[in-house]
Amino acid sequence: MNLGISAVEFVSQAKDGTISVEEFVAKTLDRIKKVDEKIHAFITVDTQNALDKAKAIDKKIKSKEKVGSCFGMPVSIKDNICTAGIKTTCASKMLENFVAPYDATVTSRLKFEDAIIIGKVNLDEFAMGSTTEFSYFGPTRNPWNPEYVPGGSSGGSGASVAALECLASLGSDTGGSVRSPASFCSVVGLKPTYGLISRYGLVSYANSIEQVGPIAKTVEDVAFLLHIISGHDPHDHTTANNERIDYVKDLKNGISGKKIGIISQMIGDGIDKEVASATDTAISKLQNLGAECIPISLDAVEHSVAAYYTIAAAEASSNLARYDNLRYGFDFGTEGYEFKAFVSKARSNFGPEVTRRMLLGAFVLSTGYYGKYYLKAQKVRAMIKAQLDEAFKKVDYLVSPTMPILPFKVGEKIDDPLKLYLTDINTVTANLSGIPAISVPFSMSSSGLPIGIQLFANSFKEKELLQAAHALQETTNLPEMSL
Amino acid sequence: MTKIGLEIHCQLTKLASKLFCSCKAEYRNLEPNSNICPVCAGLPGSLPLLNKKAVEKAAMISLALGCTIPEKIGFFRKNYFYPDLPKNFQITQYNAYGPTSIGSDGKIEIEGKTIRIRRIQLEEDPGRLVYEGTSEKTMITLVDYNRAGTPLVEIVTEPDFETPKQVRVFLNVLADLVENIGVSDPYLEGAMRVDGNISEGDGNRVEIKNVGSFRDIEKALHFEITRQQSLVERGITVLAETRHWDDARRITVSSRSKEEEQDYRYLPEADIPIVLIGQNSIEQIKTQMPESIVARKERYVKKYGLPAQVAEVLSSDKFYSDLFDKARNEKNAKEVSNIITTDLMGFADTREKKLELKITPKHISDLADYIMASKLTRNSGKTALQEMVKTGKSLADVMSSLDLGHVSDVGSIEKIIDEVFKEEEKAVAEAKQNPDTINYLVGKVMRKTKGKADPTTTLDILRKKLSV
Amino acid sequence: MVERKEIEHLGDLVKVDLNEPEKYIKQVEQILNYFDRLDKVEFHSDDTLRTQITTDGLRDDVHEPYGDSLIGHLKKDQNNFIRAPKMV
Repeated sequence: MNLGISAVEFVSQAKDGTISVEEFVAKTLDRIKKVDEKIHAFITVDTQNALDKAKAIDKKIKSKEKVGSCFGMPVSIKDNICTAGIKTTCASKMLENFVAPYDATVTSRLKFEDAIIIGKVNLDEFAMGSTTEFSYFGPTRNPWNPEYVPGGSSGGSGASVAALECLASLGSDTGGSVRSPASFCSVVGLKPTYGLISRYGLVSYANSIEQVGPIAKTVEDVAFLLHIISGHDPHDHTTANNERIDYVKDLKNGISGKKIGIISQMIGDGIDKEVASATDTAISKLQNLGAECIPISLDAVEHSVAAYYTIAAAEASSNLARYDNLRYGFDFGTEGYEFKAFVSKARSNFGPEVTRRMLLGAFVLSTGYYGKYYLKAQKVRAMIKAQLDEAFKKVDYLVSPTMPILPFKVGEKIDDPLKLYLTDINTVTANLSGIPAISVPFSMSSSGLPIGIQLFANSFKEKELLQAAHALQETTNLPEMSL
Repeated sequence: MTKIGLEIHCQLTKLASKLFCSCKAEYRNLEPNSNICPVCAGLPGSLPLLNKKAVEKAAMISLALGCTIPEKIGFFRKNYFYPDLPKNFQITQYNAYGPTSIGSDGKIEIEGKTIRIRRIQLEEDPGRLVYEGTSEKTMITLVDYNRAGTPLVEIVTEPDFETPKQVRVFLNVLADLVENIGVSDPYLEGAMRVDGNISEGDGNRVEIKNVGSFRDIEKALHFEITRQQSLVERGITVLAETRHWDDARRITVSSRSKEEEQDYRYLPEADIPIVLIGQNSIEQIKTQMPESIVARKERYVKKYGLPAQVAEVLSSDKFYSDLFDKARNEKNAKEVSNIITTDLMGFADTREKKLELKITPKHISDLADYIMASKLTRNSGKTALQEMVKTGKSLADVMSSLDLGHVSDVGSIEKIIDEVFKEEEKAVAEAKQNPDTINYLVGKVMRKTKGKADPTTTLDILRKKLSV
Repeated sequence: MVERKEIEHLGDLVKVDLNEPEKYIKQVEQILNYFDRLDKVEFHSDDTLRTQITTDGLRDDVHEPYGDSLIGHLKKDQNNFIRAPKMV
């Protein structure tokens, strides 16, 4: 039994009885036992429940009962997405033992389609970071080379898919948190249009820009998952009121005759040479498929990182205020404390990156500074969107490398927050403007580290975006996971 | 000159659910923390879902107070840590970056004075704190979140009041208004809360918080005016500060907490999109709105010819004006208004008494018809009314049990007049000399008939017999 | 220049005891300096990007009790109150 098959292949084999769901899930659990000591993708593995579910689904398949479209596919879920009965820690001491009494909408939609939630995966605390090093439970490592970071903040999602510890994963993307690990771990990751997927049950970090996003081995798998988890949710006012779309249908339509804009600001200074050359190769392959590629300048991108961190920090400082240890949280008696002292003491257990962003957030929102920082950052969002709207009058897609640099070593950049922030230059544009973007694994560097290519389309054009991503993926020939 | 401004918090008690979740809006008399869900308890991952009717009701208050409703409304987070706030921020509205609250720039006339309304905003009520323990050392705080998320409208006035009395009149009108448009029961405990701000001349502004009732705000303001004036007289500067009303000692006390220095770090609430209200929705809300007090007063004056003062008294009280509108017809409107404003309101001068009245519109309309048809004198009418409100019996029953029939046949009245003439020889002689004193004799006849004699007939016969 | 006093004030606003405020001073200053570029951007529009909804999309005013007893999932005392420290 090959754990390296795609999710869609799994579905067809489970459906026709070629493989037993129980066996596949058991083998996946063995795999987690074997490799996760090195990778540390998982915070919680739900072994018994996964096996019980798998057995029940096998029984349903045998007796020809109706089975959900995932047929017991083992998936991992980022630990900032609520799962009833399984801990949702956000990789924070503050929620170390927190069990949400409800499922996130994306969780319940996966369960409804008979996906098996095999476990909860690691992230930077409250999704703040781009390396998965800022986890209370320790860093996740890159399956292609465990000395390297897997990207982040959905590092556990990216690593668990790449290391064959599950068939697919749900991450969340606030400033690149799905696409960065997808790129660094050589898997596919989609940040959908803001409002396409419900955020109900996603623990908020920067709620005006973040979305849940699927991570899987193939673009087809991502399309398959997107169909299940997207669409209007009465529990989330910010979900768009559009019909559910079958993203798998017509996936192979190709991109012949389409126009693609190459974003000048995302291939300039500071970009790694190997990444630049891989990008050139990708562009010529897209041209070979019949697309026309032209340079596009989006000068607002120059302000995107400052705008992103201003907004994210501001919203984080408010979203994380609720963790005061009164209603839930780790054990810490209130006796002998005065309210403010108690709360400040309890909250000193946030990690350094979360603390840093809350301090920054408090600053940019404080009296006299709102107009200088937050309001300007909001205007940058509108400016970027306006420039994108202009660009999409000329082209169907935009392209860039997902990350300007190759994966780096664990510990290498952890002490220089600004330097780390600047590596988000290519990803935050999609979050600030709300448009969808996808990272497609494209090639390996000379040192054997993954390089991903990012494609963008206009809002709610996921179907077209996935067609282009699929076409690009078809041109690649990447090594198999050897771990 | 004294300048007083108000901030009034008014719960939308007529709603079924909270502002952002489906828990019950009525939180009173429930077991602690039994009316909560992930949204109002601020659990991670929960999202607010704005109550449509709360927006409509807040819009009604805005319209009733002459405010402008913007095309788009938005919500903000007011960030501060307090145990009654499950998210440690309150979702509210804020106009510092352009008017996005449900209402702004309104005004209302109170006894000929214009009170400007600065802003009306929709927001969530926090939970409730209960203190346990007697000494400061053993004191702990218990929190009940049943109230958290209850829909609240905050009404902020400009500092246009000059006296505490104006404040009281305004608050009474406002209470009538929110009751009249069916958004709130202002008399429920905690449904309407008032904070004040007050300054003398060019002096600093002092905020007064923690006032329990309407009656107390007037007392608190009086106390504060005296306090500030005496400081000014002694040449001491009034500090800009927040003072709390100490209910037990009946004084305002400086709050030691630095509440006024708080930096709330407002930011837009992105979980609630900008709500497009649109002119159509506003027009629709207007059609759903009950007649305003002002419009009702106008109708009473124009259509039924009631004197302005009677119309005002009647229209500002929902209970009595509803009674009036149900009891009146084209012909009896004036008489009905007389009965209600001169007699009925006199019997029931408090809210409690009003609630005990066993009166129906039919009682009033029957009474008016009898009086107009001279089957009952106004005097007997009052007696009948008093009995009806107590017992709820019909007018006919009351008249027969109290023997209130009208005496208008000439023979009976002549007989009684003859009796009176025998007893009051002196008065009769005087009346012949000076016809102005004839009313004394009318009164005597009335007393003998317990008010049942028709006054006009009585007067006619008297005049004839006295030849005046 | 960001000073220790300011960092501690920010820590007070977000209610976090900073064990080593010094650690944050330089980093916060560096990042804020970077944010300063926002102040130099020339805008040709005051637009901001916000999602919008019509009143039809709002929640109907219906009371539906939360099925589960939520308080059972929270820290509580025997009377189902949440205990908080003293306020003074």
